[in-house]
Amino acid sequence: MTSTTTEAPAETAVRRGRLRLDGVRKVLGGKEVVSAVDLETEPGEFLTLLGPSGCGKTTTLNMVAGHLTADGGLIEVDGRDITAVPPHRRSMGMVFQSYALFPHMSIADNVAFGLRMRKVAASRRSKRVAEVLEMVGLDGMSERHPRQLSGGQQQRAALARALVIEPDLLLLDEPFSNLDAQLRVRLRDEVSALQRRIGTTTILVTHDQEEALAVSDRIAVMADGVIHQLGRPREIYLRPATDFVAQFIGEVNALDGVAAGPVAGGHACTVAGATVAATPAGDPPADGAAVRLYVRPEVVRIGTVERIGTVERAGSVEQPGTAGQTGTGDGDGLRGTVRDTRFLGSRIRCVVATAAGTVTAALPFDARVPGVGEEVTCSWRPSDASLAAR
Amino acid sequence: MSRLTRLLGGAFAVLVGLFLIAPVAVTVASSLTTTSYVTFPPQGITLRWYAEVFQKPEFLSSFALSALVALAAAAISAVVGLAGGLAIHRYRFPGRGALEAVLSSAFAVPTIVLGIGLLQWFAQMGLASSPFTLLLAHLVLTVPYAVRLVLAGLAGLDRAAEKAAAGLGAAPFMVFWHVTLPAVRGALIGGAFFAFITSFDDLTVALFVVTTDLQTLPVRIFNYMQYDYDPTVTAIGTLMVLFAVVAVVVIERFVGVAKLFGADQDHK
Amino acid sequence: MAAVGRLAGGQVSGGASRPRRRTGLLLALPAIAIFALLFLAPLFTLVANSFRTQTGAFTLDNYARFLGDPFYRDVLWNTLKVAGMTTIGCLLVGYPFALYMRGRSARVRNWLALLLLSPLLISMVIRAYGWLVVLGPNGPVAAVFEAFGLTAPQLLYNDTAVLIGMVHVMLAYMVLPLMGSLDRIDPTLVPAAKGLGAPGWTCFWRITLPLSAPGMLAGAMIVFSLTASSFVTPAILGGPKVKLMPYFVYTQATTTLDWPYAAAIGFVLVVVTTGLLLGYARLLRRGNGDVVFG
Repeated sequence: MTSTTTEAPAETAVRRGRLRLDGVRKVLGGKEVVSAVDLETEPGEFLTLLGPSGCGKTTTLNMVAGHLTADGGLIEVDGRDITAVPPHRRSMGMVFQSYALFPHMSIADNVAFGLRMRKVAASRRSKRVAEVLEMVGLDGMSERHPRQLSGGQQQRAALARALVIEPDLLLLDEPFSNLDAQLRVRLRDEVSALQRRIGTTTILVTHDQEEALAVSDRIAVMADGVIHQLGRPREIYLRPATDFVAQFIGEVNALDGVAAGPVAGGHACTVAGATVAATPAGDPPADGAAVRLYVRPEVVRIGTVERIGTVERAGSVEQPGTAGQTGTGDGDGLRGTVRDTRFLGSRIRCVVATAAGTVTAALPFDARVPGVGEEVTCSWRPSDASLAAR
Repeated sequence: MSRLTRLLGGAFAVLVGLFLIAPVAVTVASSLTTTSYVTFPPQGITLRWYAEVFQKPEFLSSFALSALVALAAAAISAVVGLAGGLAIHRYRFPGRGALEAVLSSAFAVPTIVLGIGLLQWFAQMGLASSPFTLLLAHLVLTVPYAVRLVLAGLAGLDRAAEKAAAGLGAAPFMVFWHVTLPAVRGALIGGAFFAFITSFDDLTVALFVVTTDLQTLPVRIFNYMQYDYDPTVTAIGTLMVLFAVVAVVVIERFVGVAKLFGADQDHK
Repeated sequence: MAAVGRLAGGQVSGGASRPRRRTGLLLALPAIAIFALLFLAPLFTLVANSFRTQTGAFTLDNYARFLGDPFYRDVLWNTLKVAGMTTIGCLLVGYPFALYMRGRSARVRNWLALLLLSPLLISMVIRAYGWLVVLGPNGPVAAVFEAFGLTAPQLLYNDTAVLIGMVHVMLAYMVLPLMGSLDRIDPTLVPAAKGLGAPGWTCFWRITLPLSAPGMLAGAMIVFSLTASSFVTPAILGGPKVKLMPYFVYTQATTTLDWPYAAAIGFVLVVVTTGLLLGYARLLRRGNGDVVFG
């Protein structure tokens, strides 16, 4: 994968690969594991189905691949209804968690398999196999058998086998989870770069949120058979729409409050007497509606409370490049007392007890660390936090 | 102390090894004797008794019968084993539990009881002794092994490989041909060879099924031994041992002999 | 039932499960036919016949005769005795051998296992015949005795001959489960005990031996029941003087032609041996499912 490909199918591939799921359902063993999933990809998009095991993401992928038949709904690729088309008449390149290489065939034969099934002439076949193996960085390995390859190499071979047929969609089912941590990161970045180069629409299934954030154009967070939120990684991370999304992807401060109308850059709400703001995850709530705010520790800024005479002024001091900006629209943020600070290497964790509950902030390593017991304010940019009806 | 124990252990292991190979080694060696009675160590060296074997038409015809039945048993066991193994591994159907139960208990029923049961059942059905009834009787002994080996082969196959093949454009039969079948190829070859030697060597069941003019090789040898004590039998024995060695090499190559006996109780 | 089929089928669901079940049944049909017609039917015939007189009327006479006649009670007892002795013989030879195997490399172990299994792969007639030669008057054992100026004892056509022949075949059935059990013993236990001051022998008695008990038990069950139901090896090595049940099943069926009585002896044999094995298997399954074979 280090060398660049000579022949880029991107030109042709990028125009196709529009997948559409419309109300897709699946019942397994009397339980509805996928309930009415709607999804549409752009051609060339890298979309991830993210969720814990048993959330229905793999089942959904298997329905797209045709290994499972949907019990309801519609699956379309480029406008063609494939809901009832058997897997071998679809054009999906799939990479499995176990790689699923054919153990009795050499790597070249594994990769050539899809071409043989398509009755591609032998000469063209071997040329294509060589090209794709080079593309994934396995040139010179073609005569080896799968068990003679390392996990990472097997993964590349599986990828080559899936890509050689120039599929409508590339389906990746937890492809990195059997690799050790370092290799996992390296391969996922390589796959992501390769995908961008060749432009094949890709659906990744994973339970690893960091992986999803790192490679996806968009992420669909699934739980209990439904998509909780679909959006760009930044949006999913900073502005979770539900408790589940907020909790599943990292740490979050969840604050309950009451909606108080739109303000510049967001929507205001009252939390324990203070007015703060965030971006509504869905439709803006009606004034007075009970809402919940989701604020990631990384976006929380800690401000000092200066006492000038009897007038208190809150000011932000530590966040580089944001000095003087109080971010909360009109309020001064949540006031509280620092309970604990801890140096964690890349970040400094600061726990503040406020009237709305504990707020955790993850400050940059070079930030000024407030002392324990110090009165501070917690604030954030409204665009970096979300609020949803509760 | 530990050196002494090691030495003793080694000596003991050698003794057990000698004990295990003794009957075969002695049979092979004494087949070369020039005496007209069996003796060990052999006196002189001759291949006379091998020539003798080929001059006894009753042995040759028994060999032909045994080989024919064993070949048929091997082929049928492989096919039935493949189908049965696939059915149990992949499908749910009425009678599946019963089939599995019978498959696992078949090993535990004494062969001699099967023999007499078959004798009485065939008689009741009016089936006269024939190579065909012999084949039927042997299938009961061989099919359980074939099914078990196929099941082991299928258990080792990653189902995702079949999905992968389908996704790459292989129609169901092509998936079976290119992915499923290669996964159980070793099991089928090993199972077939094991079925062959099981059928070829069987005496217990054959004794109940044969008649005087339909004698398998083991039955012929068994009867010959009752009144003749010349080295012809050792020569035949050596040939049969060679046969078995070839079969064992093939089984070991494709499935591993230990797997045949490894997981439960076999009958001989 | 439909729900179960769908759950287990996994691949396809709903309406598609019906043809799948038919395919499964179709594939299993040859095997089902073989077992129904050539395994279950003969066994049922056997059991039915054992409750009949020669003319076909219902009777319990065959069992009464077997259990009431001191001669046949003796046969039953002798069968159990020979099986028990073979089991003990296999333990005495097999346990040290298993310990020896445990210390070897995987490669050597594989060869030793093949060696142990070799008797099972050789024609049983030839194997028994080989023992006739080895133990016979012109064989190597007699030659060794003669070399020392001694007369060789009668080694053939008695319990000893059967015992030797049976231990030879059955050794693998004892050693392989034993190996399985020995392999499962935490290798740090013995050094730990030694560290606590236990001498080597105590370690063996207090740790290795008790922890390998499941393997010994499994091996003993298999060896016992297979020996009790063996026919060919005892018949050739023991001859008519060694009175064992399988031999009488054979003679009653083929020489005396008293099929009902042969069936009854056969059924008693099944109860003794198969009952033992299946009962043991059930016991295992009810426990922790720890199957100790091989």
